[in-house]
Amino acid sequence: MPVHVELFGIPRQRAGLKELDVEANNLRSLFVELGRAIPQLVGVCLEDDGQLKPGYLANLNGRAFVTDTETRLDDGDSILILSADAGG
Amino acid sequence: MPTAPPGYHGRYLRVDLSARSAAVVSIPADVLRRYIGGSGLGTWILLQETADGIDPLSAAAPVLFVFSPLVGSPLTTSAKFAVMGKSPLTERINDSLSSSHFAIAGKKTGYDALLIVGAAEEPTCLVIEPHGASFESAEEAWGKSSRDAASILADRLGKGFRFAAIGPAGENLVRYATVSHDGRHAGRGGMGAVLGSKKLKAVAVRGDRATPYHDLDGLLALSKSLSQKSFGPATAKYRELGTAGNLLAFNRLAVLPTRNFQTSSFDGAAALAPEAMTLTHERTRASCAACTIGCEHIYHRHDNASGVRMEYENLFALGPLCGIDDPEAVLTASALCDELGMDTISAGGTIAFAMECAERGYLDVPTLRFGSGEAVLETLEQIGARRDVGDLLADGSRIAAERIGHDTADFAPHVKGLELPGYEPRALQAMALGFAVGTRGADHNRSGAYEVDFSAEFDRLNAGAEVVEPAIETEDRAVLLDSLILCKFLRGVLVNYHAELAEMLNLVTGFGVTADELRVASRRIVTAKKWYNMKQGWTPSEDVLPARFLAQPLPQDAGPSGGAVLTRERLNELVAAYNLARGWDREGWVPAEQLRELGIE
Ligand code: SF4
Repeated sequence: MPVHVELFGIPRQRAGLKELDVEANNLRSLFVELGRAIPQLVGVCLEDDGQLKPGYLANLNGRAFVTDTETRLDDGDSILILSADAGG
Repeated sequence: MPTAPPGYHGRYLRVDLSARSAAVVSIPADVLRRYIGGSGLGTWILLQETADGIDPLSAAAPVLFVFSPLVGSPLTTSAKFAVMGKSPLTERINDSLSSSHFAIAGKKTGYDALLIVGAAEEPTCLVIEPHGASFESAEEAWGKSSRDAASILADRLGKGFRFAAIGPAGENLVRYATVSHDGRHAGRGGMGAVLGSKKLKAVAVRGDRATPYHDLDGLLALSKSLSQKSFGPATAKYRELGTAGNLLAFNRLAVLPTRNFQTSSFDGAAALAPEAMTLTHERTRASCAACTIGCEHIYHRHDNASGVRMEYENLFALGPLCGIDDPEAVLTASALCDELGMDTISAGGTIAFAMECAERGYLDVPTLRFGSGEAVLETLEQIGARRDVGDLLADGSRIAAERIGHDTADFAPHVKGLELPGYEPRALQAMALGFAVGTRGADHNRSGAYEVDFSAEFDRLNAGAEVVEPAIETEDRAVLLDSLILCKFLRGVLVNYHAELAEMLNLVTGFGVTADELRVASRRIVTAKKWYNMKQGWTPSEDVLPARFLAQPLPQDAGPSGGAVLTRERLNELVAAYNLARGWDREGWVPAEQLRELGIE
């Protein structure tokens, strides 16, 4: 099912786009599909095994930050990928 | 005089501007070990040198420039100094850090700190060299920006000096005036006004007194590896986008304070983000002295006026907080704050507050409306000169609200008088706790509790007691960096935080401190700051947020933070839990026994 992915900061810079839809039903499959769709994110914010790299966070629909790669995703969900360091 | 540990001179210079005299004061080696340097050492000196209940703008009030054991070393980001004293904005302890060659030259004068009391009769430049202090007229620099003042004084004094100077805002006692060198500012809490009250336009430093290192080879090797790591992915965001790279993510999460905290997302954010501004404005990069990260992004305005350093905090405060979506207006307002020598966060926060007052009919200034860039620029000028409504606003939002009356204190955006930085506390509730208990007021550099909110383990919209320990940990970590002093943007590079910092300190000083000793030092310094505040009149009622944050939920249309509520009861519970976790009583009073245990008194 399509899940909306929004990229912020360095992932957006590297990807050259700010959002896209990917087919995924949990966080792990989303990261894998995202890596396939935008290979330049692997090694930047994505590990090559379906995980986020340290220093990055995923957020579900702008509310909760999520790390459990088994987190179930539904049609229409948005996953935001952003830097964990929010220092200003 | 006993020999100081490597990395230190073991003394500070106490200058009396009234008497035009200076005296050397020894610092015991055990104090250096226990308080380290920067904010920590400065707190210890202030505790020795400050009378209880002192008026921060009186001649007797001390202002302090503090260096650290790491200054001048090859460790990246270590060229920092603290400007400290009692804040005229908060009436509480203030430690404002800055980063420039002033730190390196200042330490080479042969002192670990420069303490200044008294007041000059005429505009003065205090000149510190290894042989002591001299007092030069600064008449011709008075009224100038810090940059122009430094240039005028440099022409007169000769080569090799570095100047920390105030602008017109400091001269006019704007309570959030900065002390600046080379475009970098000791920004928060109004230490510039303290210099202004002493007619002290600038402090000039020059010297040749290097301090030895305990293990130079080890230090060089570690510095090299730290510099290499600092080029890595952990700091890419700062290098490529700067701190302004927070803007779009904060807006999407709806934690971006907008129109004086009336809401937390801003329609105009996209135009202000660095991702957009790099397409519309020429941009160059720079870094502080001795820094390999280089987070500074300087944008050039369309009229080819000088470049403007753009960081998240000045962007948020002079942009969304005032409802401004025009990048040129924000850049010009930032440049004006630099020119006048004013803290951008307090300036933006106070103007946003005034805009809301004017829109509600409490302030008769028809031009002050959210979204008006012209109004922001005009009001900044008025504040810097203490002219028209600027005279009221130069005292900050807390005092302005007291004078305006009605219910305006409910939405004056400050804690202890210090205007909030760009983190909406109803939607970042661990940060709300950090703001409430902060010894210098609402501040994101003293508490990094937003890290707790930006975590999968905690609920940023519904914080409970579980956030207290991790919030304390961020505060303790910050105070350690502020005492060593190193840049906070190194955080992501450190894997074994305390152990790595202990190693750096040990290579310089030979102290042989452990990670645990540094943890205790952090607690000691946080507690010593609190003790200072208690001596200056702190009461538990000030560890709170303004009523707006505790009585009004965020609007339902505030995106994913819509409807967020932080009740007074819940914040009070968080503050009580914080106090107890620190070993203080429930209200926050520090027991005498703990002061003794930590060696504070
Ligand atoms: S990372 Fe930025 S703020 Fe920190 S020392 Fe370097 S340039 Fe200065």
